This record gives sequence, structure tokens and C-alpha cells, in this order.
Amino acid sequence: MTVHQGNIMIISLRAGALSLATAFLLSAMPAAAQQATSKLDEVLARGHLVLGTGSTNAPWHFKSAEDKLQGFDVDIGRIVAKALFGDPDKIEYVNQSSDARIPNITTDKVDLTCQFMTVTGERAQQIAFTIPYYREGVGLMLKADGKYADYAALKAAGSSVTISVLQNVYAEDMVHAALPEATVDQYESVDLIYQALESGRADAAATDQSSLAWYMTQNQGRYKDAGYGWNPQTYACGVKRGDQDWLNFVNTALHEAMTGVEFDFYAKSFKTWFGKDLAPPQIGFPVEYK
Amino acid sequence: MTEISAFFDQLWIARFVVLKGLGVTVSISLLSIIAGSLLGVLVGLSLVYGNRLLRLVVRAYTDFIRGTPVLVLVLASYYVLSTIGIELGPFQAGILALAIFCSSHVGEIVRGGLQAIPKGQTEAAKAIGLTFRQTFAYVLWPQALRQFLPAWVNTAAEMVKASTLLSVIGVAELLLRTQEIISRNFLSLQFYFFAGLLYFTINYGIERFGKYVERKTAVPS
Repeated sequence: MTVHQGNIMIISLRAGALSLATAFLLSAMPAAAQQATSKLDEVLARGHLVLGTGSTNAPWHFKSAEDKLQGFDVDIGRIVAKALFGDPDKIEYVNQSSDARIPNITTDKVDLTCQFMTVTGERAQQIAFTIPYYREGVGLMLKADGKYADYAALKAAGSSVTISVLQNVYAEDMVHAALPEATVDQYESVDLIYQALESGRADAAATDQSSLAWYMTQNQGRYKDAGYGWNPQTYACGVKRGDQDWLNFVNTALHEAMTGVEFDFYAKSFKTWFGKDLAPPQIGFPVEYK
Repeated sequence: MTEISAFFDQLWIARFVVLKGLGVTVSISLLSIIAGSLLGVLVGLSLVYGNRLLRLVVRAYTDFIRGTPVLVLVLASYYVLSTIGIELGPFQAGILALAIFCSSHVGEIVRGGLQAIPKGQTEAAKAIGLTFRQTFAYVLWPQALRQFLPAWVNTAAEMVKASTLLSVIGVAELLLRTQEIISRNFLSLQFYFFAGLLYFTINYGIERFGKYVERKTAVPS
């Protein structure tokens, strides 16, 4: 860890020297040379990407039993590193809490943050969002051999259904948006909402579909998705405002991962963390314009 | 029973991660306590013996730092310093924040310890011809040391607990390591309890060490 931090310091010193040097160049040269100051050139010159992400949320960014950072966010960063250097491993991770996502971008501690960041208007005023790489929503998980078959059955059962959910100011309203009459039991941590379902204290667990998908891939055959999703949220990476070159580059890398040459990389990661196979983009007329 | 064995299985898998986190927590605590205490002694001495200007400046420093939440200090040393061109990694920034926080508390403890000694002793020392340096080294400091040991041990234990705040800026100390483990195996109660036990063990060790030093430095009766 300290080696890591030493690196960050050296890099930021170097970055400081670089920006000084570019400032000199700029004052000496006409405006035509300005694109040389893009983060893209800085990252390329440095030889690795500084990616901000967390380490405590499966399946987005978390540690394997071997203490290696992994997850869907991490893979998205690897896609960008591969586009930059042809090598997905040329990344230096900056471990950050969710609160640190925006400050670390605005203070240049990271080149790019991919950390299940919901796109909102307020955030878009502080940082620049890339194109989305996932659409999150709330889902319902049932026991495979449980009393209720799917969402329709849960809804029909009315107030006799109990839903376990993470404790939250909006939890009650959130569940009632999908199941207006259901009884809502709030729990303090994710493991407890799953336990409530397992022990029969709850008939279904409601939380992010990505978490449910990950839990179901970890416990094959024991649970099923109720087949209904609501509360859509867009996940995108973030970069510092005002550097269109860098934003374009990251957008291109992500776009080609979802529709072009790196689709297999993206689809393999999607399968690993969410357990679902993606159909390849249709060949011929670009899917974007449909 | 199966739940307990599941916990021990997971603990065994995560043993090195837990140890690494423990190591980082212990080094953060040690470094910040040592640096904070050294700086704190200077702060305390300035508060007692400094001239008017120095006293005023140091008084403002201690009051400001003591009145600020540690989390704010941690965030400030990580983010605010970088805006004025001082780039510290999370580990260095965290140690800096904790050491500064520690110094303000130790400073007050030292000041209290020194001022609790009756004035008559300084006067008596002067009367038998000791210089100020000698008075301080042989009369005042040994007594003050005994006065402030218990309070210092208390501050040291506070620093260990405050080290958990560095998880916010991404220092992989014991709490963040524990959260990483929990995010993989969902055993939140068990692992948080275990982490709590480790923190208690560290602080119990500090407390025993303090008691030991107190016994060693006690005036023989």
C-alpha cells in the first residue's frame, strides 16, 4: 500500500512538473498547440491509467479471496486501459469511498472514476459523465421453491406479502411503488435482508438488481428473480470537466466495448458478475440509430 | 454451529488481509502518536514558557484544532493541501491530520501537567541556585511526566480509534479491510465484532503499557 502511495506522490509530482512545462509551452506557442494539454496525452505519457474506484461493493468493485481488486467497475476501467495501452492491467487503483468519488476527480487525484456512480443533474454540474455502461434498477428476489412464482403473484397477494429491504428513508416508498400493499421490513445490512428471505421471515428481498444478480450467481439454483424492475438509474464513469479530448476517448472506449471490437470483453465481464449472456450487437446497420 | 464454522472458514481465508489491515492500523497509530506527542510537547512548552506572541499563536492553533472534528482534518489534509500544490498520498495525509490532532491534545495535557506544579518549587529551585534549564530537567519535568501519563494514554487510545477515519480517504486500515471482507462473504456482524475485538486488544495493550510506565516512574514510597 505504501509503495502504491509513494507512486501516487511521484506521479503527482511528475504531473505537476508536466503541467508546469505545458504552461511554459503554451505561453510560448500559439493556441493551435493547445490539445497537447489533454489528460489523454498526460495518461499516455505516464504509461498507466489512474482509476478511482472502491473496494467494498460486490459485484462492482471488491476484493477476491486473493486480495485482488475485481468487479464490473474494475473491468470497465480495464477496458479503458486496454484502449489506451493495449494492456488492461496498466492501471493504478486509487481506493476511494463513495463520498470521495467527485472530490477525487475535481482535485486530479484520479484520471477516471468508475464506481457505480448514478448520473444526476447535480453531479453533472460538477464532473463530466461518460456514456452509460449499465442501467441499475430495483428488483425482487424470491426463493426458487417459495410460495410465490413471480411479481404478479406477489402483487396479487397484497398485504400478506412481506418484503425485506435495506434500511433507508425511502425504503418504504420504494417498495410500495411496485407492491403498494406489501408489508416492508427494513434491515441494517445486505446480509440480513438475504437472511430474512432464506429463513422465511420475508417472502421476497428488494434491492439493486445487480446485487441480486450477483447473489444468485453465487448461490446457483436457490433463488430466482421475480421478473420486475423499477427505479431506473444510469451508471456512468466520470472525468474532470473541461477536457473534451479525454472525455471523447473514454466514451469511444466504452462505446466500442458495448457495440464494437471489445464487445467480447464486456460480455464476458457481464456474464461473470451478473450471470447473464448478452446477445452480440446486430451486424449491418449500427444499433445506435435504431 | 455451522455459522460459527463458516465464520472461521472465512476468517482463515482472509487471515492475511486482516493481518495487513491490523499492521496498517498499528503503524498509523504509532506514527501519529509519536509525531503528535513530540509536536505536542513543543506546543505545551510554548503555552507555558512562550512569550506573549508565541502563546497567542499556539493557543489559537490548539483551540482551532481541538474544536475541529478529526474527519474534517483528515479530509482537509487530503484535499485542501493538494489545491495549494502539496500532494500527499492518503497514508501521509492521514498521518499528518492525526498527528496534528494528537499534538493539540498532548499540548494541553503537557501544559496542565506543568502548571499543576506549585510555583513555590520553581522559586525554591531558584533559591538554591539552579538555572532554568536545570529546574526544568530535574524539578518540573519529572513531576509533570507523572501527572500527564494517564491522560496521554487516553489520547493514544483515541488516536487508535480515530485511525478508522482514514478509511474514508482510502487507506486500507483494519476497518476498510473488514468492510472489504464483508462485501465478499456478507458476514457483517461476525467480522465487525471481530474487528472490534482487535481494536479493543490494541487499546488494552496501550493501557497496560501506560500502567507499566506509570509504575516504573512512580515515586518510590
